[in-house]
Amino acid sequence: MTRIRLVASVVLLALATSLAAPVGAPAQSAPIKIGFLAPLTGPFAQIGKDMVNGNQLYLAEIGGQVAGRKIEVLVEDDEGNPATALNKSRKLVEQDKISILTGGMLANVGYALQPYIDAQKIPTTYPVIAADDITQRKPAKWIVRTGWSTSQPMHPFADWVLKNTKYRKIAAIGMDYAFGYEIIGGFQQVFEEGGGQIVQRIWAPLNTNDFAPFLAQLRRDADAVLALFTGRLALQFVKQYEEAGLKGKLPLLGGGTITDETVLPQMGDEALGLITALHYSQALDNPANAKFSRAFEASAGKIASYYSEATYTNARWIVEAIKAVGGKAEDRDALLAALRRVDLKESARGPLKVDDFGNPIQNIYIRKVERVGGKLQNTVIATYPGVSQFWKYKPDEYMKRPLYGRDYPPCKYCQ
Amino acid sequence: MDDVELAVRPGERRALIGPNGAGKTTLFNLVAGALPVTAGRIELFGRDVTRMPSHRRAALGLTRTFQISNLFASLSVLDNCRLAVQALTAAKFAMHRPLARDAVLRARAEETLAAVGLADRAAATVRNLSHGEQRQLEIGLALAGRPRLLLLDEPTAGLSPAESAAMARLLGRLDPAITVLIIEHDMDIALEVARHVTVLHYGRVIADGTRDAVRADPTVREIYLGA
Amino acid sequence: MIGVGALVAAAAVAPTLPSYPLTLLTQVAIMAILAMSLDILLGYTGLPSLGHAAYFGTAAYAVGILATERQAGFLTCLVAGVLLATAAAALFGLVAIRATGTYFLMITLALGMVVWGLAFRWVSLTKGDNGIAGVPRPDLALPWSLAAPLPFFYFALVAAALAWAALGTLARSPFGLTLQGIRESETRMRALGYDVWLHKYLAFVISGGFAGFAGVLWAWYNGFVSPVDVQLVTSVETLLMVALGGPGTLAGPALGAAVIVFLKNFVSVYTKRWLLILGAVYIGVILFAPRGVLGALRAPRR
Repeated sequence: MTRIRLVASVVLLALATSLAAPVGAPAQSAPIKIGFLAPLTGPFAQIGKDMVNGNQLYLAEIGGQVAGRKIEVLVEDDEGNPATALNKSRKLVEQDKISILTGGMLANVGYALQPYIDAQKIPTTYPVIAADDITQRKPAKWIVRTGWSTSQPMHPFADWVLKNTKYRKIAAIGMDYAFGYEIIGGFQQVFEEGGGQIVQRIWAPLNTNDFAPFLAQLRRDADAVLALFTGRLALQFVKQYEEAGLKGKLPLLGGGTITDETVLPQMGDEALGLITALHYSQALDNPANAKFSRAFEASAGKIASYYSEATYTNARWIVEAIKAVGGKAEDRDALLAALRRVDLKESARGPLKVDDFGNPIQNIYIRKVERVGGKLQNTVIATYPGVSQFWKYKPDEYMKRPLYGRDYPPCKYCQ
Repeated sequence: MDDVELAVRPGERRALIGPNGAGKTTLFNLVAGALPVTAGRIELFGRDVTRMPSHRRAALGLTRTFQISNLFASLSVLDNCRLAVQALTAAKFAMHRPLARDAVLRARAEETLAAVGLADRAAATVRNLSHGEQRQLEIGLALAGRPRLLLLDEPTAGLSPAESAAMARLLGRLDPAITVLIIEHDMDIALEVARHVTVLHYGRVIADGTRDAVRADPTVREIYLGA
Repeated sequence: MIGVGALVAAAAVAPTLPSYPLTLLTQVAIMAILAMSLDILLGYTGLPSLGHAAYFGTAAYAVGILATERQAGFLTCLVAGVLLATAAAALFGLVAIRATGTYFLMITLALGMVVWGLAFRWVSLTKGDNGIAGVPRPDLALPWSLAAPLPFFYFALVAAALAWAALGTLARSPFGLTLQGIRESETRMRALGYDVWLHKYLAFVISGGFAGFAGVLWAWYNGFVSPVDVQLVTSVETLLMVALGGPGTLAGPALGAAVIVFLKNFVSVYTKRWLLILGAVYIGVILFAPRGVLGALRAPRR
């Protein structure tokens, strides 16, 4: 018995002393520490890697320093798990004394960190987390989104469909979770206000293995189908859609992730002609993007996607803000204000600035899958410049409506 | 089991014998409620218990031992006995007071241990007991609940002749008020404990009577004793 | 003995610790409650539940919803969380207790998935996979706000000590001995006159209630509840804490909780292959200390 007590006490003391190791006070000349969260294990590890690579690429381009100070990035694996992300944030903020927190991929991680970030008053950017309400009904003072909000591309997409096609009755199928609801909901809102009708809404579980039963349900009298899937499900859905003989009969539209560059290289002719909307395309023709996508492909050995573009541009955004405060990254109020003032005239995804709620006002691109030089790409066929997350609505009126959800907007034309 | 009819009077000592596979243990399992009855009827102390779960039969005063020792291997001998003693008391549901402070429980457990000759092994872990000691504890657990009917399934299984003799003495000292049904391969032990013998063969009763009558039965001699 | 030593040592060093390690210690305290509650099933009764996150998560959700939508205070959250978890266990126990061994494992897994499905799909109540954010910590009308790491750590530590004392009393009681008897031999217990089903069921419900207690603290600790809290991984991790530390000893699972929380949060800083290391530790324990770290310390090989 005594032996155990002894062992236990020793272990505990050893732990305690190693934890209590002193943390040096940050000096002006010391590196600026950026805490970076990404899912590096689990199902999203590939995307997490793209995120890390995009961030490193930009920092390498500027020689890893800004305003005379070195930048040190502390990468932590959040496992795509909110509790883990919270733990890692605590470590980064309280132990490593970072000046800026960034990264994160999943919506629930975004929501989970919000109260902590505001309580700690730590300047934070979300390059990938897109859940609408983070910059709408539940905005956090200390978070600036440098990526996009989920429904942001879908409002103009509906506008484009109304103006450029004859599709007025659309059947929608999406993944059964918040991201799916916000994509389909954003489209439905604008589409139905413009006279269109969503005549069917199908929510497919995230663990769907076979789409045949869902494809069989799809209404054949619709003018087109709007689909939202990501990753494995995107690949499988598009493939099965063609196999079911639907491709020629019901034109396919999609949320941007269904053909994003993490899945497009693995698709074949079944994806040709698919029209989607997003704030980025690897095929986007501008000098900043040409430079980025070439450099990314050379360093990472794979094609750039909106994930890597997000963290690349996000790193640039942070660097611009640090420049604006003259390298005094420890002045949190000033740094936050600078992050909210950033105005990039030409980024890889076009011009960027921030709205009052901390979300970028940016171009939305309508893209069509084409084969160019033997490879599939998202060719931009239309550009909506300077789109706000609120589209053309007034923010306060917009936010009086509920968040797009499984049952909102109500499906009044579904039978 | 096929058409077995067995009536045991209170206080009777009855041996069940028969070759392997005769259905002796199966009969025990049916009586104790460990196996469901498909047809027929079991009465205990004048009550129909055919559909009664085994723990309620135990509450009526029926306990059994097992052919292969069925003990609480990683608990102490004393705790094994405590479990047997508290089984039929409301104390088993007590969650708020330490077991160690229940003096009555402890006294009764120790009494039982003394009765089966294990008083000095109370603190040992059952796993570390010798085979013979485990057989003694097997009987102890059955006696701890103060049964009215005791089913003994080969109490001497695997014991040396000397240990068997000791076991026979232990069984001979049992309270005469307890009704005992014993399965035993060792005829000497069986006949020492019981005056009345029932012979089973392929699930049927082929002979039933006093030990001398059964010994004399030609069928029994042929299939069992003569073998 | 060890437990008291560890509690006193933890309480003594806490004020000297920076806030991050302190929050990790807080997490250890909460996870220790969860692991100990599972140990009543796994270690004492011999029932390997793979759905323990269900009761933990049910309570966490109860707190999350009540505290954000109804501004419920300390007592309401605590009572509602524990009661709901207990009720969930009482309901699921009716289904699960009939099964044994692998089937019990599978059925508790399935029931756990039911709760996960509800958390994920009942969006109007649970906010789906977005989770419930901004769950405030309770106001105990003390001079110290629980929002700060140190007071909350002491709060969690006291809670863990209470849970440990309660479960320890249970384990040493006649009822606790009954559970161990069931673990050792159900057939013998029946022959002795125990209603095995009833005792297993009671253990299941009590265990669920304590898991709920941990869940209540977890919601306050994170300020956030999401389907991750009720998912299979959480159940598996709890099972590993118990197996690692030593089933059938309450201090063991608590130690297991500490080891896993620290492994997860420290090893991962140095290498992305931390999962591999965690896996190696599990395999090592299974091979060389099948009765857990504490089991190995207590009984040196004969």
